[in-house]
Amino acid sequence: MRKLFLTGMLAWGFAQIGWSQVTFPRNGVYDERPGLYAFTNATIVVDPKTTLEGATLLIRNGRIEAVGKTVSIPAGAVVADLKGQRIYPALVDIDSDYGMPAIQRNAPGGGRGTPQYDSNKKGAFNWNQAIQPETDAGTVFKANVAQANELRKLGFGAVVTHQHDGIARGNSALVTLADDRENNVLIRDRVSAHYSFSKGTSTQTYPNSPMGAVALLRQTYYDADWYKKAGKTVEANASLDAFNQLQTLPAVFEAPDKLGVLRADKIGEEFGIQYIIKSAGDEYQRLEEVKATGASLIVPLNFPQAFDVEDAWDADNVTLAEMKHWEMAPANPAMLAKAGVPFALTTASLRNKTDFWANLRKAIEHGLTEQQALTALTTTPAQLLKIDNEVGSLKPGLLANFIITSDNLFSADNVILENWIRGKQYVYADKNAADWRGTYNLTIGDRSNLKLTITGKPGKPDYQIQADTVKITPKVSLNNDLISLQVQLDKKQPGTTRLSGYRTDGATWKGEGELPDGKIVKWSAVSSQPFSLTAKADTAKKTAPQLGKILYPFVGMGNLEKPKAQTLLIRNATVWTNEKDGVLPGADVLVQNGKVAQVGKNLAVPAGAQVIDGTGKHLTNGIIDEHSHIALYSINEAGQSSTAEVRMSDVINSEDINIYRQLAGGVTTSQLLHGSANSIGGQSAIVKLKWGEAPQEMLVKGADGFIKFALGENVKQANWGDAVRIRFPQTRMGVEQLYFDHFIRAREYDNARKTYNGLSTKEKAKTAPPRRDIELDALAEILNKKRFITCHSYVQSEINMLMKVADSLGFKVNTFTHILEGYKVADKMAKHGVGGSTFSDWWAYKMEVKDAIPYNAALMARAGVTVSINSDDAEMARRLNQEAAKAVEYGGMSEEDAWKMVTLNPAKLLHLDSRLGSIRAGKDADLVLWNNNPLAIYARPEKTIIEGTVYFDAQDEDRKRDELQKERARLIQKMLTAKTGGASTQRPTFRRQRMWHCEDVEGVMAEGEQRAGQEK
Amino acid sequence: MKHLKLSIFLLASLSGFAQNPAPAGPQVRAIALTGATIHVGNGQVITNGVILFDKGIITAVGDGNTPTNGAEVISVAGKHVYPGLISPAATVGLQEFASVRATLDYQETGALNPNVRALIAYNTDSEVIPTIRNNGLLMTQAVPDGGVIAGSSSVMHTDGWNWEDAVLKADDGLWLNWPGYFARSFDFDTFAVSLKKNEQQQDGINALTATFSDARAYADLKNPAPKNLKLEAMKGLFDGSKCLYIRASYGKDIIEAIKFARQMGVRKPVIVGAEDAGRVVDFLKENNVPVILGAMHRLPTLQDEDVYLPYKLPGLLQKAGVLVSLSYDGEWWRTRNLPFQAGTAAGFSGIDKEEALKMITSNTARIMGIDNVVGTLEKGKHATLVVSKGDLLDMRTNVIEHAFIQGRHLNLDDKHKRLYHMYREKYGQPDLGK
Repeated sequence: MRKLFLTGMLAWGFAQIGWSQVTFPRNGVYDERPGLYAFTNATIVVDPKTTLEGATLLIRNGRIEAVGKTVSIPAGAVVADLKGQRIYPALVDIDSDYGMPAIQRNAPGGGRGTPQYDSNKKGAFNWNQAIQPETDAGTVFKANVAQANELRKLGFGAVVTHQHDGIARGNSALVTLADDRENNVLIRDRVSAHYSFSKGTSTQTYPNSPMGAVALLRQTYYDADWYKKAGKTVEANASLDAFNQLQTLPAVFEAPDKLGVLRADKIGEEFGIQYIIKSAGDEYQRLEEVKATGASLIVPLNFPQAFDVEDAWDADNVTLAEMKHWEMAPANPAMLAKAGVPFALTTASLRNKTDFWANLRKAIEHGLTEQQALTALTTTPAQLLKIDNEVGSLKPGLLANFIITSDNLFSADNVILENWIRGKQYVYADKNAADWRGTYNLTIGDRSNLKLTITGKPGKPDYQIQADTVKITPKVSLNNDLISLQVQLDKKQPGTTRLSGYRTDGATWKGEGELPDGKIVKWSAVSSQPFSLTAKADTAKKTAPQLGKILYPFVGMGNLEKPKAQTLLIRNATVWTNEKDGVLPGADVLVQNGKVAQVGKNLAVPAGAQVIDGTGKHLTNGIIDEHSHIALYSINEAGQSSTAEVRMSDVINSEDINIYRQLAGGVTTSQLLHGSANSIGGQSAIVKLKWGEAPQEMLVKGADGFIKFALGENVKQANWGDAVRIRFPQTRMGVEQLYFDHFIRAREYDNARKTYNGLSTKEKAKTAPPRRDIELDALAEILNKKRFITCHSYVQSEINMLMKVADSLGFKVNTFTHILEGYKVADKMAKHGVGGSTFSDWWAYKMEVKDAIPYNAALMARAGVTVSINSDDAEMARRLNQEAAKAVEYGGMSEEDAWKMVTLNPAKLLHLDSRLGSIRAGKDADLVLWNNNPLAIYARPEKTIIEGTVYFDAQDEDRKRDELQKERARLIQKMLTAKTGGASTQRPTFRRQRMWHCEDVEGVMAEGEQRAGQEK
Repeated sequence: MKHLKLSIFLLASLSGFAQNPAPAGPQVRAIALTGATIHVGNGQVITNGVILFDKGIITAVGDGNTPTNGAEVISVAGKHVYPGLISPAATVGLQEFASVRATLDYQETGALNPNVRALIAYNTDSEVIPTIRNNGLLMTQAVPDGGVIAGSSSVMHTDGWNWEDAVLKADDGLWLNWPGYFARSFDFDTFAVSLKKNEQQQDGINALTATFSDARAYADLKNPAPKNLKLEAMKGLFDGSKCLYIRASYGKDIIEAIKFARQMGVRKPVIVGAEDAGRVVDFLKENNVPVILGAMHRLPTLQDEDVYLPYKLPGLLQKAGVLVSLSYDGEWWRTRNLPFQAGTAAGFSGIDKEEALKMITSNTARIMGIDNVVGTLEKGKHATLVVSKGDLLDMRTNVIEHAFIQGRHLNLDDKHKRLYHMYREKYGQPDLGK
């Protein structure tokens, strides 16, 4: 016990030799030291661009005093001769959570309990728990010996740390990795501001989706601005105060993936902020777009493990995209560097921090230069967060944070010998240790025919004993000049021989030991051959591994190059014009510059045109799906009854295989709608299915804005279980009042803003501006006929109700979607002027669709309603032509009219019929060539064309699929080789594509999966 | 009096309390359908054919020269006659509204329920039933789901006063959900589904082996005491009087399930679902095990899979010589689209329409062991057939003009038609479509 106490005292005592706090009283006598050290004869990498040979580094009191070849060493300096060794600036990680409080996560599925609509954080803070700009990293930081040591060992000297929790995460602090009091470790607080799309530990219901997170952040920017200008007289809000203070700092945004990088940058653009973006390691897949953001990145080295692909069948569960990412992820830093994207590297997102060096070397093997790597770990991170006057290089005046290495830092054989932090030494290997490697003649008692070989890295030796021809690995521990060795010399006579001893001045070891039988013997090991550096290749000189090609999008059926528009002449096809010409047999259609140039017979072939023989085939417009949920990361922001502020355009997933599958069903345009979880849902995104383009390029430019509303069982949460009975409204009665309330507020808001905007500059200066509210903005747009409603609806009473609400407020509902009882109020709908976008034959999946009938489309159409037929899911959308044909079966619509229900009519409902929906000169060349009458059950698309670009070609399918198979095979072989070579692998996990429906709410609803086909 | 009756009927239908039309009475005189294209259901097509039936049984099928022998002649010139379609693996009659628990009767609690019978839960008054027969479905297999052994199914007609009346084959088979090679997990927070190797699979198989071994031994007992309802219900598996319908998707599961069934002495195993059947075609063929495919209206299982694989699978199996039937496994109202799945199979998998038709008629009848009475239009079989305006497999022409079950001429009214006419008349619109 006494000994233990003594040991503890010693450790504590040494730890005190660091920086004493001036303001602190002292127990004992003062022990301030000069802290003056000179490191001579070293190769010093001052910064990634400056290397000095045989130079000296002089530090005093924890700061660098001088560095150079001609530094004079003052008296009183402790001198260390570093001949043959190198000094680098210590590495800097600016996306650290070092020393931050542990984040308490809820158990998965925690969101399924009783919803929590208000923040449960006590105090004068923001209404939403996920907005925590008040988190002050410098205050909550607590030094942590184990975490610090882990990072120091890797060569890091300082990190910028912040609490990775919430959407607005507060500020960060620059801290060193010294084992010392926080007062000495904290170098600077309030270094940068941090944001993300993840609500983190917030238990509040809103937001439950990424688009809700985006909206919340947007609104917070506006709220903070209002607070600064006018809000303080209305309420006290410490969060908004803190948020405003953050705005002078560099802003860092954590993105979940490559498209998240683009999304974050888009938010920044809106508010004039250039975020520094923490990426996920897959940016190379959208390099062009990522570069165009102009953002600097913080890039992780989290390379995926190889998959276990030994079983030929199970391996099918691994997608080509996953395999390709395994191969290409290590090349991500090199590709970013080559493209000129500025980036810092981070240890964040690594499975184990100890993977850092192996992965960094892998990145270098894949083409990242050592200089680029060092830059990304020193000067770039320091400059990005404006801490380059403290860390990141060895310029005089900076913190004395540096590492001493045995070799080139990036060499596989290198050992980080010491890490100095603010002038304090942390030893990881004895820099003065002699190189013990070599071969020794070992004698143990009377056995002299033994050979001891020491190989490996200095400081990390490997031992082997050879007895005759038998090779044995002994257990050895070395402590300075003391050695302890245990070996089982004879297999026939089991037992361990244990040797203890010391090193003499020469290259000899000697001492005493005990044989298994207890006999005490003398032993010695005398050097017979020193270690020779057998030619070891420098890692940097290895040729970069051969990699496969990038796909656009990064999915199995992606394109090697983004497809381009062509001049096309489709000859002699049966052309469904959707114009007064009707269906033209034997007609030609010329496509130029993405538009239909001409429709007629025997058209001349322009130069460079590709001629497609349409004989026996049918050419139609591309199908337009008025109600789709494909290509989205999320569907419902269900956290509130009105979420008019959320935009589906924020969560478009251009990499969804369902885009390709829809093309294979003749779909060219989809309205990506918010779900039906609340009365007022989010703003929709209208996209063309341009397979390979990034989200922003898919959006139909200049399209009117639409918004999803919903009625009935979903919005009153009728089928959500007993825990979910709190949110207003729970009845159809409440839904009407919710609409009135929101629209009346929106009108008052709109008037207030108009009044304010009409003021003179002078008057404005005296008047508090009204708070900008992006939810009411969207609703005011509806009132001002600048945004249009697509409303999920089933039962006649509520359909009628919404039309009356709209009439009384002076606007029109644009479209009722699903509208399964539309036939009961078709006359009223026609009078109101609202369209109907319905299912062909769905019913019986819940109570409110008990009266749904497949004659609905025909009944509404004949009553004068513009009718379209929509999918609501990725499966049905790829056979909407068949669904349209059901209008012929039920209700006897003509084939042309039935066909318009999936082409021209949805174009009308989306206000795009001047550009889409029929084949006429000047309209977009969104075309499908079918092998048959498109309404026939036997019809299949042969080509699907958008704006003159062929995105699906049935003839090319086999070739593409062959290529996919070959690429899979190549990668599988490579993975098998990697596994044989000792790489760790993971079992294939079969990730099923999510098929979204209206009702799917993350964290709450799951039935959509189980009964995907039924619960609309 | 007559007036009164009519007005009561009208009142009832207008006030939304309409019932299904009365089931048809027995065939009272011989009927001949003439002038039609007859799709026999075995691949054969007779143009301008005649089909004659009496007392519910087909007495002749032939070309235009077939004598009608004084039967009531119904001219269906230009129309198409098909065997009544058979819809396997359905919950029609067992569920009405998916979100209303009170209307759901297809899933019993507990893991092993071989003794529960869908037969007696089949609700002939379900308003879904007339809507599916209006697309040609005259037989539907009422099938339980849930647990490991879900219970026993029966083949039902889509017309009848009660289940006793409507049944074609009672307790035709037991339904087993095979313990899968992959276990499925669902993350509520991210809405992601992932499959991992099922570490409990062997335990599940061991438990099944024990139950089947016990059942087989029990089947040998003359007068078992005590009597065990569960083992009793499994007897038929070992003498071939009952099928064992095994739901399995992954190729490895299909192989293991069939090997298991063989080893346990199950005489008639059938694989249901079988999304991955394309991989084990040879195995299915070698073991002569038929397949009831689940919904073709699904997305490909794997991201990198052929976009059309679900559409191509039926043809791929049929061409390889596997006996294949189509279904909407576990669904109810949607089964009315069964003929269009067959049409899709013809359009996408390179087989002709008559081959596709087999998958919803004769193949299904063979699998269920009812091919002696239904599945094809042949002399001696039930007069269970439909007359369609045109191609039954295409939406545009699937317009059922007559339907007969065992010669009984059905009333083709249904809830959807009633509402259609009610509102059509309200708006003064023409009577078009079916």
